[in-house]
Amino acid sequence: MSSIYSISSSIQEFESPSRSQQALYHLRRNPLVLAGLIIAILWILIAVIAPAIAPVDPLHQDLANRLQAPSALFLMGSDELGRDIFSRVLWGSRITIPAGLAVTVMGSTLGVIIGAIAGYAGGLIDEVLMRITELFMAFPFIILAMAVTAALGPDIWNAVLALSVVWWPRYARILRGLVLEVKAQEYVEAAHSAGASGIYVLFRTILPNCIAPAVILATLDIGTAVISFAALSFIGLGPEPSSSEWGRMVSIGIDFFDQWWMWLFPGLAISSLVMALNFIGDGLRDILDPRLRGE
Amino acid sequence: MNFFRYFVRRVIFIIPILLGITVVAFIIANAIPADPINANLPPNALNDEETIAAFRKKWGLDKPLHEQYLTYLGNLLQGDMGTSIKWRTPVSEDIARRLPATIELATLGIMFGVVLGVGLGLVSAIWKNSMADYIARVIALIGVSFPVFLIALVFLTLFYAKLGIAAGPGRLHILLRPPPTVTGMYTIDALLNGDWKTFGNALSHLILPALTLALYISGIISRITRSSLLEVLNQDYMRTARAKGLRERYVIGFHGMRNSLIPVVTVIGLSYGNLLVGSILIESIFAYPGIGFYMFRASTSQDFPAIMGVSLLFAFIYVGVNFVVDILYFFLDPRIRVA
Repeated sequence: MSSIYSISSSIQEFESPSRSQQALYHLRRNPLVLAGLIIAILWILIAVIAPAIAPVDPLHQDLANRLQAPSALFLMGSDELGRDIFSRVLWGSRITIPAGLAVTVMGSTLGVIIGAIAGYAGGLIDEVLMRITELFMAFPFIILAMAVTAALGPDIWNAVLALSVVWWPRYARILRGLVLEVKAQEYVEAAHSAGASGIYVLFRTILPNCIAPAVILATLDIGTAVISFAALSFIGLGPEPSSSEWGRMVSIGIDFFDQWWMWLFPGLAISSLVMALNFIGDGLRDILDPRLRGE
Repeated sequence: MNFFRYFVRRVIFIIPILLGITVVAFIIANAIPADPINANLPPNALNDEETIAAFRKKWGLDKPLHEQYLTYLGNLLQGDMGTSIKWRTPVSEDIARRLPATIELATLGIMFGVVLGVGLGLVSAIWKNSMADYIARVIALIGVSFPVFLIALVFLTLFYAKLGIAAGPGRLHILLRPPPTVTGMYTIDALLNGDWKTFGNALSHLILPALTLALYISGIISRITRSSLLEVLNQDYMRTARAKGLRERYVIGFHGMRNSLIPVVTVIGLSYGNLLVGSILIESIFAYPGIGFYMFRASTSQDFPAIMGVSLLFAFIYVGVNFVVDILYFFLDPRIRVA
């Protein structure tokens, strides 16, 4: 976040009000972004302090109290092994949120690097990298991630890895275009003629001027990453069945259709988080980058 | 450019993509698993030297990698996608048997989804910033933010279990016999057979999963329709059309819609990917025996050949649909014809 502000404020130095002042202004005017921020921060906070606030251990079984409806004892009911759904939902945030973030960070970084190299190197390297990018975009990305996870073996980190592997193509495309644009600027030529090496120019001179749109796209994408991870987990290509990951809990809950609390609460946890992230993403897009507005 | 040249050019463009998909699938199937034999054969066959030798020979596993790929491609072209670990049947046969059910559901889903998505987008754009706009945008936001499996579960609980106004899981009532197979799609086969009762029952089983799919894809369609139409509404030719004294209905319906259609058609093609993913999640909840349910059961039991088969098929369908979209551009966008 700070990088957006520092870069944009250095670009916008002579304008007033500054971008960050504008952003604050927009934030006050746009209650949905604010609501999104509050909900998302709340979830992150829950993820951090879940061990302290969860009433019982998420794996603690209480077979005498299995499939209990929500009550004072079990705020969100209990599952088929008498585990407390409320505690499991709180603990689940510790899997889903880092997984979504990891996918976005790893996937976008990969895309930025590939796109930057393609745009900067040009010629054959550009051609080859871009054809590979198009090939990856020809797959519906979650399907590709499913195949990769299945090949790696179902596991949380394999699911994250697989999603990151399919996440990068859009970033590569956008970055390549931006690098091509910036490459033609005079200050890049100046850096070259001052004797800077190619890699130095790419990473220190060109990339900082292209990174903002990628950061914004990544922010817009976190919600999709979370929901995609939950989907992989739902079809069994993520954490093991006893895990308190939200998508997995919903998936186990289908077999207990009438015990609606088993699938509704973890499902609502995903929805509230993703909706909050989408509020933030939409708002951020409107506030920071007019280039992405048309999408 | 005439249509024939455009068509041929698109076909030439699509061939390397289809080949590339098989390369990616081959890499995932043969290079990623630590041991392809382990991944592709049922556990109890792993002690059987004969089965393993036959498997090696069939897929050319003792040959160099590029020859393995050619063997893979050859098998694929003959419709051989390997054998399911869970069901012990050829994956391509499993898929062929279940495909009509998914096509039936996906077709209805995309029809509902386009009507809903374009409708919501239209309402949003025409009455921008009104109450209707906000409601339409909230519906769109739910479509993109709520996991589709949750929507499916809520619909099933509400409309089937509580209100009893929709049919439950499955394709047909258990007491009804499927119509004689012509297309494999129950609604069409029932109609061909003149069997209205079966037709009605099959359709009623389709409505709820199709609506769920529709809500899922309409979110993105309505967003694009809205922004695309808003852009067009500000164009000079719209003002000209109004200045000529044309009725508002005609201005929006003819000048507006037609020119905002190109991005909408693009996004419908792209959201077909969502539709396919959605079918996996939705069919698994409605116990609807199509490809999606097959994929769900395959992945929960780690049936690797089946998962790869469905992934490959979905990639092909996705590329095929976007090929059709490219062809549609020719008719929608006069600039292509002139170029």
